[in-house]
Amino acid sequence: MLAGFIGFVIFRVQTVLNYRWAWASIPNYILRWDPERGWVANLLLQGLATTLRLSLWSMALASLFGVLIATGRIAQNRLPRLISGTYVELMRNTPPLVLIFVGYFFVSSQLMPLLGIDAFVRGASPEVLQVISVAFGEPRLLKNFISATIVLALFEGAYVAEILRGGIQSVEVGQWDAASALGLTRWQSLRRVILPQAVARMVPPLGGQTISLIKDSSIISLISIQDLTFMANDVAASTTRVFETWITASAMYFAVCFTLSLGFRKLERRLAR
Amino acid sequence: MFRRTLLHAAGAAALVGMARPSLAATPLIDEIRSRGVLRAGLSTFVPWAMRDKQGKLIGYELDVGTRLAADLGVKYEPMPTAWDGIIPALLSGSFDLIIGGMTVTPAREQSVDFTEAYSFTGIAIVASKKVAPGLTTLEAFNRPTVTLAVRRGTGAVTLVQEKLPLATLRQFDDDAPALQEVLNGNAAAWLTSTPKPAFAAVDHPDALYLPLEKPITAQRDAMAIRKGEAATVAVLNTWIAARKADGFLAERFHFWFEQRSWLTQVQS
Repeated sequence: MLAGFIGFVIFRVQTVLNYRWAWASIPNYILRWDPERGWVANLLLQGLATTLRLSLWSMALASLFGVLIATGRIAQNRLPRLISGTYVELMRNTPPLVLIFVGYFFVSSQLMPLLGIDAFVRGASPEVLQVISVAFGEPRLLKNFISATIVLALFEGAYVAEILRGGIQSVEVGQWDAASALGLTRWQSLRRVILPQAVARMVPPLGGQTISLIKDSSIISLISIQDLTFMANDVAASTTRVFETWITASAMYFAVCFTLSLGFRKLERRLAR
Repeated sequence: MFRRTLLHAAGAAALVGMARPSLAATPLIDEIRSRGVLRAGLSTFVPWAMRDKQGKLIGYELDVGTRLAADLGVKYEPMPTAWDGIIPALLSGSFDLIIGGMTVTPAREQSVDFTEAYSFTGIAIVASKKVAPGLTTLEAFNRPTVTLAVRRGTGAVTLVQEKLPLATLRQFDDDAPALQEVLNGNAAAWLTSTPKPAFAAVDHPDALYLPLEKPITAQRDAMAIRKGEAATVAVLNTWIAARKADGFLAERFHFWFEQRSWLTQVQS
């Protein structure tokens, strides 16, 4: 049924579009043969590596922000509740494109000079540079990479915070009462009674959010992080093979996200036991 | 390349108060020399800048940048940047200048300084043989039944609005879908920067033709630099004048814009 539908779409595209398909130049942009170094990653695969690095660090940072904000959201004191609530609503209700664009230029022009990243990279030893290129990609672009990671994490952190808060608050109030009746402090109740139940409920939306982050990370191409989308754009413009390039890039996003999907499904099953 | 976007304006506005104060202290040209690296922003547009099969950047702007850096005695570092954010990136100090075929416009001159022009392009039209055959004047396209495909935010949009107000204007995010619309027979013609219309006519001889021999308008492309760097602009202008005089710029322009022997470096 699905195969038939896809076949029909391909047939319609062929008859409606006056487009000459030419896939020949695409594989070379994934892997290319270098006479000296053998097979090496070309633009699309390099872009995918950047996307994965960016997603990994952003998710780690977003989880940190998420925990902080969620703690503020469920606090009994009004001030942290107010601050974290404002943050979440601000992040969720403004277009990500504007946040990323303005946030990035603010972070990179105001925050980065304070951290002295450029000077650090220039004075770093070869070993340090090696570590940087494995973890963050090209050291020359480290400043941009870190700015983008922070901005993406700030944005995704708001959603992570809401998932954590939702998970915790979905546990019935009676559980808190029961825990406190047993003489547990608020922190002890959270850790020993509430969280074990809440975590199982948080995993499915967190998985969704992680996958969403990988796809959202494509808007970072606007601020010139050379991720998969940025590279695909370059390849499409250079080769004029627009459809072929984007279909290939989509397949790469799909492969990564689907693998993660399967991983999270496994994790869910284990937690449900 | 003549584009304007909302984001350009938004980003530039956001940066007005953020310009780096340290830059005013030493002229940019001295900073480049002491650093030993010239960082130049550019964006992928065939044939200004594009990727070859090895993933390396090639194109007219790369030749200009490489030669400029060599003449200054420094290393050239091209910084690929999304076009929508290229001016904000320049203002925030991500690179020293833009060598990316940027057209001089009054709006852009509000936020950056331009050098003398070092290349001259224009906007031209390529038409569908099926939908609008045999037209030889621009006026012939100025009819409500004629649909024109252009890329959003480009000089072509302004041109159509001013010179072909009666024609139906359809805007696309990129040049490729605009061309595709003409090939599919949904639009009569595509307007964009030279040399793209001429190359398209060569690529699709059965479907497309060039109604006019010359570009409709002319535009000047120049290097863009942060405001207040008069000394650096002077050095760049001297370089441009010298490379115009010895024919380097004209020769490179001919290689990238007036013939396509470079095509094998990009496509197989």
